[in-house]
Amino acid sequence: MSRKENALDLAKFIDKGVRVKLSGGREVEGTLKGYDQLLNLVLDETTEFLRDKDDPLRITDETRSLGLVVCRGTAVMMVSPTAGTEELATNPFLEPGAAE
Amino acid sequence: MLPLLLLKTAQKHPVLVELKNGETYNGHMVQCDSWMNVHLREVICTSKDGDRFWRIPETYIRGNTIKYLRVPDEVIDKVKEETYKRDEKRPNVFNRGRGMRGRGGGRGEGRGQMDGGGRGEGGRGSGGRGNRGRGQHQQL
Amino acid sequence: MAADLQEAGLASLVDTTISVITNDGRNIVGILRGYDQATNLILDECHERVYSSKSGVDQVVLGGLHVVRGDNIAVVGELDDDLDQQLNLSQIRAAPLKAVQH
Repeated sequence: MSRKENALDLAKFIDKGVRVKLSGGREVEGTLKGYDQLLNLVLDETTEFLRDKDDPLRITDETRSLGLVVCRGTAVMMVSPTAGTEELATNPFLEPGAAE
Repeated sequence: MLPLLLLKTAQKHPVLVELKNGETYNGHMVQCDSWMNVHLREVICTSKDGDRFWRIPETYIRGNTIKYLRVPDEVIDKVKEETYKRDEKRPNVFNRGRGMRGRGGGRGEGRGQMDGGGRGEGGRGSGGRGNRGRGQHQQL
Repeated sequence: MAADLQEAGLASLVDTTISVITNDGRNIVGILRGYDQATNLILDECHERVYSSKSGVDQVVLGGLHVVRGDNIAVVGELDDDLDQQLNLSQIRAAPLKAVQH
């Protein structure tokens, strides 16, 4: 089967902006300064996106600055680059020919 | 059939991943590993309530946060095809193993029963060295 | 030993219709195509049965192939196709299951 490798090479994100979702629901964005094979991440100039008080699933535009942080690998759910990520105003699945 | 083998075969196909928190990710599977960590490209992320959407060029999702994945139907046929190809070769591994010393046999069977892929190839490779002649007969 | 029995249990269900209850309280019915030690399942031709105490069971066709992660599975059950055909789902009333409490 698959080798014991990581599905993603984080090297290409070094010194780039990444968005990280953590288990428990927090979302942060920062510059990836380092990582290890356990997916522990070092992020610089990190901002956390605060969530709606009444609806913790909903992230708001409100942020708070965290500075230099280490994200523990076991809590990291998702990593994606900041560049090219955008919220869509409309449901892309309603358009004909949308992806899947 | 092993779920992880199916996922590995789903590489380059469009997949849907639902996470335990209810978010869904639609994208093309670039790679997955033995922990079910997946790397998707050209992703659309949908919030749990289904009313917010994000376009993300690529994303890495940790396996243990996944609830389930949807893969296209044709992928299972692809897995069967690949398994069939392997099985055609696999009897050689078994026969060689049984015909040889006990240790060799044990090794051959052990690997044969496991999922295939990397391990299966290992078994085939090591068997082939000692029995090249017979392998050629099989091919004819 | 226990592991052997469990293994045999799921092996005998391959290519038969099974009913799965997930940790979030969903009931998914589909054909088992494969599984592994972690109870990750490959389900084919899936549909979800949505129970309601006010109306009949709603069969939602999920379609296609699903890989359900073992973490998320509470129960895997055999399904007798003949018996299942006799069910009149529109007459069945049941409260939806709650999610598993960890």
